[in-house]
Amino acid sequence: MTLEVKELTGGYGQVSVLKKETFTVESGQVVGLIGLNGAGKSTTIKHIIGLLTPRGGQILIDGTSLHDDVEKYRKKIAYVPEMPILYPELTLKEHIDLTIMAYDLDHDKTWKNANELLKTFRLDNKLDWFPQNFSKGMKQKVMIVCAFMTDASLFIIDEPFTGLDPLAVNDLLNIVEAKKKAGCSVLMSTHVLATVQNHADKFVLINHGQVRADGSLDQLKAKFNMQADSNLDDIYLKMSNEDL
Amino acid sequence: MLKLWNERLRRHQLNQFKYLRLIFNDNFVLAFIVLIGALGFWYSNLLGTIQHQLVLGKPIVIVLLLLATQVGGIATLLEEPDSTFLLVKEKDFYQYFKAAKNYSSFMPVVTLALVNFLLSAFASRGAGLHILDIVVIAIGLIIFKLGSLNINLMEIYSRAKLGNFNLRLISNVVLLLALIVSTYCFSWTMIIVAVIYYFFLNAQTKPLEMSGQLNWDYAIETENQRMFRIKRFYNLFTDVPGVNSKIKRRKWLDGLYRPIKLESKNTYLFLFARGFVRNNEYIGLFLRLTVIQAIMLALIDNFYISLIVEMLFIYLVGFQLKPYFKEVMQNLMQRLYPISGKTKIADFTKLSTAILSIQWVISALAILYKFGLSVNSLIIIVAGLAVLIFVNYFYMPRQLKKYLD
Repeated sequence: MTLEVKELTGGYGQVSVLKKETFTVESGQVVGLIGLNGAGKSTTIKHIIGLLTPRGGQILIDGTSLHDDVEKYRKKIAYVPEMPILYPELTLKEHIDLTIMAYDLDHDKTWKNANELLKTFRLDNKLDWFPQNFSKGMKQKVMIVCAFMTDASLFIIDEPFTGLDPLAVNDLLNIVEAKKKAGCSVLMSTHVLATVQNHADKFVLINHGQVRADGSLDQLKAKFNMQADSNLDDIYLKMSNEDL
Repeated sequence: MLKLWNERLRRHQLNQFKYLRLIFNDNFVLAFIVLIGALGFWYSNLLGTIQHQLVLGKPIVIVLLLLATQVGGIATLLEEPDSTFLLVKEKDFYQYFKAAKNYSSFMPVVTLALVNFLLSAFASRGAGLHILDIVVIAIGLIIFKLGSLNINLMEIYSRAKLGNFNLRLISNVVLLLALIVSTYCFSWTMIIVAVIYYFFLNAQTKPLEMSGQLNWDYAIETENQRMFRIKRFYNLFTDVPGVNSKIKRRKWLDGLYRPIKLESKNTYLFLFARGFVRNNEYIGLFLRLTVIQAIMLALIDNFYISLIVEMLFIYLVGFQLKPYFKEVMQNLMQRLYPISGKTKIADFTKLSTAILSIQWVISALAILYKFGLSVNSLIIIVAGLAVLIFVNYFYMPRQLKKYLD
């Protein structure tokens, strides 16, 4: 699975938030999308999953764009939004059934995956609950379960760590690691730099809707002329200070 | 505080006008005028059948008037943040509520006047009341209602008690007794009781001005529920943002979904069917309209009116299902599913066909009960079927398309 974002320009309405963004996510790579509030992280993600239409440039998954084959494109992506979005009228179990139906997944095999994930996130005894009974963190876990039980090859996670308890953050990182080993790719946007620094292979730094820099931690250090012992926080601060 | 009230009232009225304009713009109003006409026709027919005083006449009048007096409370226009931001002003809120009470007197007075006016025909014919008695009782009821608004005020301060008894309960008992005496013996009783009641409650309310400990949670919850009822009413005609309805599991109805196989092509039917059954708003609307229709059809003896009722109500239920489709389409996750808009509409049509068919069968039974096996019955039933087909296969698909994106 390869995701290519080429010269992507776009945004909401008439305002262009993104200006000619270019980056790639390779097979088996975990990529961190990093930037200040309002830099364009979520907008980039919305373009990739197809909720927004690009004004210019191209987004390709294994060489196919959304325009070429909607079904094929969508089946390759699993998405966890920043704010959990659930159906108020469906129970947890029915959310899983619905996702299986929507993506035409193998019922038994997917349920096996789902049960493991539910157990990991301690939701296995809440199958008959409605979203209104869940806390924010639990809703987030439901979204994660529904995304990671599928056989998508690109997982896109928007701000996954806020609202999750430390145990769940750890569990999520393990799941991401397992998916990576299986050859899938993960793109996650986050502000929790210390966590992502240890778990991502590559970082895409976005500022004012443009890719300021991308690469591994060492490559970024070289680009920003940082010392060898500096971390992602230092680089982030340096990038933010460039504006001043 | 009065400034705050006036500002809130202005904003509230502006909002109401906005919705009222939307309601009166819709061709839907026409439908309701027909409905009112049908009810009026039924009422005058009913009056025509009453030749002399009925035994049950007076009790019916008493019950209806008792119910009409319950209508309306204080519109406080409180908002949730008030309990945090305006907590320091708690003592000054008495003036605010006073103004709110004055404003809120209008609705119950109009309601009581209208109910008494409409009821007067029946009261003089079926219950043998003199027209002067009816007017006297109406005035008494209005004074009584103005007095009982003070109970709402006392409830906000959690002081609606008289000794160990709930004040509202006591006042309803007093009202019932006064109504019985006024209708059976001496109508001026109502006015005398009401005036005493009015002054008594006003005196009871006075101490609140000094003590001023509000029951914020109750006050805000009551106001929220009141707003919700108003918005739900408007929601019958147009889309009102922020109307969230209650969800119930209704596990005993799980059998209904069993025929829907867990296959990719049924994704949306799976979702729509559960949502419709569990969301109080939609199932409630369907049940209300279906029951009202069945009752009307079973009572009305006129071919043309029955025909209109049959067609109108099937159209109404179909029309009212549209917002549900819109609600689901606003869910971001479902837009990512690899499923075409065509399939979504087709699945929704399956649901609406099932719902309208149930309604059609029930209405057909009501018609057969009233008209028997006749040509008239057949015409009405077939007309209902025609509306069902029109709504499901011509009207809906076109209307739903615009909600897809």
